[in-house]
Amino acid sequence: MIRSDAEALIKKTMARFVDDEVIPRAREIDESGEFPYDLFKKLADMGVLGIRYPKEVGGSGGDTVLYCVAMQELARGLMSLAATTAMQCLMATNGLYLYGTKEMHEEYLYPALQGEKIGAFQLTEPEAGSDLGNVRTRARKTSDGYVINGMKTWSTNGPKGDFHTVLCQTDPDKGLKGLMFFFIPTTTPGFSHSKKFDCLGTRSSTLSEIYFNDCHIPEEYCLGEPGRGLDVLLTILAEIRIMTAALALGLHRAAMADSIKYCKERVQFGKPIGKNQLIQAKIANMAVNLEAGQLMVDKVTRQVRDKKPCLNEASMAKYFTVESACKASDEAMRIHGAYGFSMEYSVQRYYRDNRFLLYGGGTHEVLQTTIARQYLK
Amino acid sequence: MKIVVLIKQVPDTTEVKLDRKTGNLIREGVESIVNPDDRRALELGLRLKDDFSATVTVVSMGPPQAVDVLSEALGMGCDEAVLLTDKAFAGADTWATSTTLGKALEKIGDFDLVLCGYQAIDGDTAQTGPQLAEYLNLPQACYVDNIEKLEAGKITVTRRNDNGYERISLKLPALLTISKISAEPRYPLMGNLIDACREDAKIKIWNAADIGALSQELGMAGSLTQVVKTFSPKGKRAGEILAGEVPEAVSALLEKVREAHLLKLKG
Repeated sequence: MIRSDAEALIKKTMARFVDDEVIPRAREIDESGEFPYDLFKKLADMGVLGIRYPKEVGGSGGDTVLYCVAMQELARGLMSLAATTAMQCLMATNGLYLYGTKEMHEEYLYPALQGEKIGAFQLTEPEAGSDLGNVRTRARKTSDGYVINGMKTWSTNGPKGDFHTVLCQTDPDKGLKGLMFFFIPTTTPGFSHSKKFDCLGTRSSTLSEIYFNDCHIPEEYCLGEPGRGLDVLLTILAEIRIMTAALALGLHRAAMADSIKYCKERVQFGKPIGKNQLIQAKIANMAVNLEAGQLMVDKVTRQVRDKKPCLNEASMAKYFTVESACKASDEAMRIHGAYGFSMEYSVQRYYRDNRFLLYGGGTHEVLQTTIARQYLK
Repeated sequence: MKIVVLIKQVPDTTEVKLDRKTGNLIREGVESIVNPDDRRALELGLRLKDDFSATVTVVSMGPPQAVDVLSEALGMGCDEAVLLTDKAFAGADTWATSTTLGKALEKIGDFDLVLCGYQAIDGDTAQTGPQLAEYLNLPQACYVDNIEKLEAGKITVTRRNDNGYERISLKLPALLTISKISAEPRYPLMGNLIDACREDAKIKIWNAADIGALSQELGMAGSLTQVVKTFSPKGKRAGEILAGEVPEAVSALLEKVREAHLLKLKG
């Protein structure tokens, strides 16, 4: 049977989109801080937002492997666009897909996959980052649903979202077992948000605080079984982490490509700087780490696709690829010399944007602890 | 209405280099793409599909890996694809290629319009389209950049020539070779691409026997021309820098223009 390889085709298609539509505008978007909704809509029209969902709900019929291939390419172009797209494809819509009613799918999921509605995912609170047991946003049961009170922070798409998947505490005495996810449309009375945060990187992403003041929602907006919020999170945690690793690979690839181009062009002492062994060592390290990270991502995306337990491997891949991308963007700035310090060159943006990946999907300090725990049992 | 679009998988020539010793293309590590003018032909065909409920069949001749360009075409919205692949097709010149494509189109049958790029970026001959039209005895228009009108049994197009543009009406079925069009070719859709890679994708694989072709008509055996040598032309015209102050340099430049009879200068 002669057939094409879907991974290769999707990578090629996304690469063309990124080279033609994203990279030429990346600097302008970063400088303006305005999220490129026109590009987001184009991605939706291409079926990227629904890449990991079945066609029955308006998706493209793909899987985690193809999702991560697409996100890696997008991150090569512009991290803020990639991060928001990745959020829409997974965290913002997965609970709605798994636990939403048919009516919720029609009103929110299908438009979200068409880029007509934007979703957000709310975990973090001022006192609860990695420590989810300390979530204080409270969901109180009423006769016809729940009333939500509290706040969330570091909410990607927070101010722009049309609906939110929110982790709440239903019973503080139960700790982690009292956690539940709820679906909260922005139109719910009592919903509000702060102004957009001013951040170092991913400057066109919209991050903010979110406030819930007596937000009354119906029973069916509870996503998953009562008290199983942590389990709901765990079903996608490996996928969140490997997606984050794929984003890091894309940024790493961009930093390396710019470095290779520059060290062939930049002539000092009568020869391109790429002829110097210390520069070659930097390129070699970038290449080795990129290859190793790609192998990790390829392995774990298949494990996620095949529903094999892989949270530890996903954590390792996220830790390795993001640290490698940090190093690659740092080295890219050094290879560019003083020009690396200039806003005119993209390497400074890679350096800034990659910091976002250090926290999204779990801080590396916590990840190292959980990885080590597997070996110190 | 049934439209057939012919496309070719070509190396991305922005990256291609020639082996200095053999004169052959160095294909290793060079990405293969849909020939850019064929992509425009695809876009034009798909616009007709959008506007007139046409069906679009895409055909390519090449090695098995040429299935990738067909998958991409299905991703863009074509209805079905045919890959013509057989060792007997290898080494074909434009004559043997147009014969092979012609036999495939006879097998497809009942088409109203055939579209192809005006030339491929690897060969730059611009011969296959016109030769195919001759083989099929179809009216043809080359270098078409716009379809002005499509009506029962007739199509009106514009095409560029050395003096400007021509408007031509052709009876259907007809063959058009496409150059520039105003619209950018669309991106493939993820869902269509994924479907195109599945076993049940609408891709037919035909060999020489499937299209009823004789071996002497195909490939190198059926070719009227043979490539003796491929080489990069050596630049013979060296540039010249006119030094000195601007007025003197401009005078020297005008003198050279006058000597070369490039312009009629007064005085």
